[in-house]
Amino acid sequence: MQGAQGRAMSGVIDIRVPDIGDFKDVPVIEVFVKPGDKVKAEDPLVALESDKATMEVPSPRDGLVKSVLVKVGDKVSEGAVIVQFEGAGAEQAEARPVVSAPPSPVSAPAGVADVRVPDIGDFKDVPVIEIFVKPGDKVKAEDPLIALESDKATMEVPAPLAGTVREIRVNIGDRVSEGAIILSLVTAGSTMQADGPPRSPAVSPTAAVEAAVVGAFDEESFALAYASPAVRKLAREKGVDLGKLKGTGNHGRILREDVEAFVKGGAQTTAARVDGGAGGIELLPWPKVDFAKYGPVEHKEMGRIKKISAANLHRNWVVIPHVTTHDEADITDLEQFRVQMNKELEKSGVKLSLLPFMVKAAVASLKKFPEFNASLDGDTLVHKNYWHIGFAADTPNGLMVPVIRDADKKTIPEIAKEMNELAKLARDGKIKSEHMQGGTFSISSLGGIGGIFFTPIINAPEVAIMGVCKSYWKQHSPDGKTVNWRLTLPLSLSWDHRVIDGAAAARFNVHFAKLLADMRRVLF
Amino acid sequence: MANQIEVRVPDIGDFRDVAVIEVMVKPGEAIAVDTGLIMVESDKASMEIPSSHAGIIREIRVKVGDKVSEGSVILTIEAAAATARVAAKGEEVPAPSAPGASVAGYGGKADIDCDMLVLGAGPGGYSAAFRAADLGMKTVLVERYSTLGGVCLNVGCIPSKALLHTAFAMDEIPHLAAHGVTFGPPQIDLDKLRASKDGVIAKLTGGLAGMARARKVDVVTGIGSFLDSHHVEVTTAAGKKTISFGKAIVAAGSQAVRLPFLPEDPRIVDSTGALLLRSIPKRMLVVGGGIIGLEMATVYSTLGARIDVVEMLPGLMPGADRDLVKVWEKKNEHRFDNVMLQTKTVGAKATKAGIEVSFEGAKAPTTPQLYDLVLVAVGRSPNGKKIGAEKAGVAVDARGFILVDKQMRTNVPHIFATGDIVGQPMLAHKAVHEGHVAAEVAKGEKSFFDARQIPSVAYTDPEIAWAGKTEEQCKDEGIKIGKAVFPWAASGRAIANGRDEGFTKLIFDETTHRIVGGGIVGTHAGDLIGELCLAIEMGCESADLGKTIHPHPTLCESVGMAAELFEGHCTDLPPQKKK
Repeated sequence: MQGAQGRAMSGVIDIRVPDIGDFKDVPVIEVFVKPGDKVKAEDPLVALESDKATMEVPSPRDGLVKSVLVKVGDKVSEGAVIVQFEGAGAEQAEARPVVSAPPSPVSAPAGVADVRVPDIGDFKDVPVIEIFVKPGDKVKAEDPLIALESDKATMEVPAPLAGTVREIRVNIGDRVSEGAIILSLVTAGSTMQADGPPRSPAVSPTAAVEAAVVGAFDEESFALAYASPAVRKLAREKGVDLGKLKGTGNHGRILREDVEAFVKGGAQTTAARVDGGAGGIELLPWPKVDFAKYGPVEHKEMGRIKKISAANLHRNWVVIPHVTTHDEADITDLEQFRVQMNKELEKSGVKLSLLPFMVKAAVASLKKFPEFNASLDGDTLVHKNYWHIGFAADTPNGLMVPVIRDADKKTIPEIAKEMNELAKLARDGKIKSEHMQGGTFSISSLGGIGGIFFTPIINAPEVAIMGVCKSYWKQHSPDGKTVNWRLTLPLSLSWDHRVIDGAAAARFNVHFAKLLADMRRVLF
Repeated sequence: MANQIEVRVPDIGDFRDVAVIEVMVKPGEAIAVDTGLIMVESDKASMEIPSSHAGIIREIRVKVGDKVSEGSVILTIEAAAATARVAAKGEEVPAPSAPGASVAGYGGKADIDCDMLVLGAGPGGYSAAFRAADLGMKTVLVERYSTLGGVCLNVGCIPSKALLHTAFAMDEIPHLAAHGVTFGPPQIDLDKLRASKDGVIAKLTGGLAGMARARKVDVVTGIGSFLDSHHVEVTTAAGKKTISFGKAIVAAGSQAVRLPFLPEDPRIVDSTGALLLRSIPKRMLVVGGGIIGLEMATVYSTLGARIDVVEMLPGLMPGADRDLVKVWEKKNEHRFDNVMLQTKTVGAKATKAGIEVSFEGAKAPTTPQLYDLVLVAVGRSPNGKKIGAEKAGVAVDARGFILVDKQMRTNVPHIFATGDIVGQPMLAHKAVHEGHVAAEVAKGEKSFFDARQIPSVAYTDPEIAWAGKTEEQCKDEGIKIGKAVFPWAASGRAIANGRDEGFTKLIFDETTHRIVGGGIVGTHAGDLIGELCLAIEMGCESADLGKTIHPHPTLCESVGMAAELFEGHCTDLPPQKKK
């Protein structure tokens, strides 16, 4: 009796699905715990898979699993109870925010932020000529706060974040310089729309959530868009910023059809607009064919990742003037060396493919030809003093390009190991976007499949990509008299002609091939 | 039972590796939730990081100059088991065995568990609750009063309209003498009048209760207050009840502002008191010349009271364009002995003879004035500070408003708010739309409050209604407008009704010819304004309105005719000069 009561006192703790952003009814794809398991805070409990990402729900606390209430295939939403813990008393009463969710809202700093004069160039002691806000005003990120006037120009200082003005620390006529405090803002968390541009450092977790939902909407132009309430509602549902749309109705009225057309062509339109480089291309409409007329068909929507990569590839292909230079590398000796190293490393469990060697050769080539390790930013070429090499991975969901960071500092076995891990994450759909960012050059290898040459599409904002196909035995004559059989690797280097010219590309290929022919050259 | 908690840097937006420029606490110090711990400075702003937990600081892990990012441990605190803030959503902490429950985290069991809790059953609250229930959420509606409907149904919009209808009919009757139909003087049975008004309320609130039942919305009667971000405690007649919720919508409304210098006396009332209709005063003072005050003035004056109005601003019915108000003023002069504009009420003494009120300002009488009834209608203040919002982490501003975004979300992502408590205008129809948005967003839909106009109506006689931008606003905003005014003196129907004093005004953007606002004064203006609301939302051009066939003979015709007038081809008025 007493025991039973004791148990009742300690009770059962429900562990629920935390805020997982925009998702509802997400299927459980894996359950990591079973009744009786002891788990620690942050141990994964279940894995969920939405159309966008796979996420693990970690335990918010230590505890003993009493029962598991979900099974693989169940669909869950925020708040659903996943498991129940034995109420083990209070020694771990700390509830922690969950990795994938915004942190506890109450700990979010609904604090006070001092807004300072930002970098205003060379100016110092510039007079304040106008103050646009007063205490109590709500401001959005980028709303002008004050105007300064130097001898050269008048400039407005925008709010760096949303909030309510608490106190204004400057008067008209005051002279201010970079760093001077203008006013204090009560950053009321999400109370303002997350409609500022992406660089606005919204302080609240909500802001992040919202940004994900609506993207960077320009609320002001949305409110002015010539569209009826029903069309506005549709636009919100589809995530279309009406301010960016041109209506085809009378006098530019935005119609339901305009929003729908924008959604369909959204990827292309957005890409072109973002880059600006493809603006103004007038194309014939896409041929509309009733395929079913010619035989049985089946409609399958492209997967999420496929759609994203399609939009990116399309932009890159349209914007970048691609040229592909082909060459061959003699990898007879390298292949022998690779096989030998694999034997030596057998015990360590690392298995080397040719790809890690190519990563090393790429780094050495990039160091010799730095413009291949650069990006175009307007009219400026940004040379990067780091060498992060992306490699295209074929996954069931589509093409992904995980990045090996600081490949110059890693050994070939280290690179091989990391590649295996990243490729596995990619195939399992668990890769995070940060694993696919920051690349400076990419390698796309079809070596395991076949082919001789192809045109890889550059992974913007990189400026070149090395494509390799299957190596094959080829007769080679060093002098026109004797003939040798050499293992030959076909190379296809695509490069951005805005940055690189043909001679440099040919030299890059020759150098890359030489390195593969004799990896000792990497040391030089 | 102590436990150690690591307090970490929360999500601070886009910043990483920001420098600590100040450490504001030291080991051994007792801190509360939201105590500032450290100040960090990025290249854009400096901000204070508040504590997520309460307790005693054991160890500080950062020093000035350190760079921190989201998740960095700032310090560790020792907290009693129960003081740990429940941070993970929807999670319950086992009951604390140590005494001394905390202010910040609820550790007990809940009597009711729900997906959606709505606090307040006014138009914003019940609309939100019903929508949430229709979307499949298990919904609890907490209301302090025994009937649903809030101020609007019980002590606001609806009962005042019941009385205004009576007043309107009474005012019409003497005019019939000119038509050859004469009635005797009215006999007023106040009890019956009150009962008929109460019958209207009962019919509506009863209907609401039925609709709540039909939707399986669990109505809990009592005063609700947050315990933490997932629990509300309701003090009911039968004791305290705790409700745990996944999401919440705060719709706790507002209440009439009281003037601190007025004495406690049954003869000094707010709108609620005035609607009780205890007696008919001989002399009545209305403090505040806004819509509520003037509607009640209309009722009491028709029932026989002489009215004085005192208003601090230079005009009655602030917010409406002056040309509209002027028509009402002319028609209502007879009700008032004194309209004291730019005048303040400065004191009042309750005497046996009545309330002796003294004034200061432009139109202040030299001596204090004696009244049988004083109605204070100087505005309403939001109830944001009365619901324990701070325990849920919901930010409330100094005036008591809860700040929300376009999705009606407060700073706490799973808590929403709607209606009077989120800001002006404090109108039921605004609250209802906001409530729907809040419920839909809580359910995961991508709803936004994207309305472009919220109409206002004074249900006086004649009524005054306006929507979209007023002329005054357009002038302030520098919008170039063209307007068209159709006088009801040219409306067959208005003349037949014997009420041709009104007019219909449309305001167009001069460059696009799209309607941006409009105002109507005249009988049933509140019903006529609906067409303008739709036109503004649809972005109608003048021709859209003018080319729409309106029924004849009606008052709503005046909208189409005003649009024709703007287009320059109205044939119901003398020929226009060519533009």
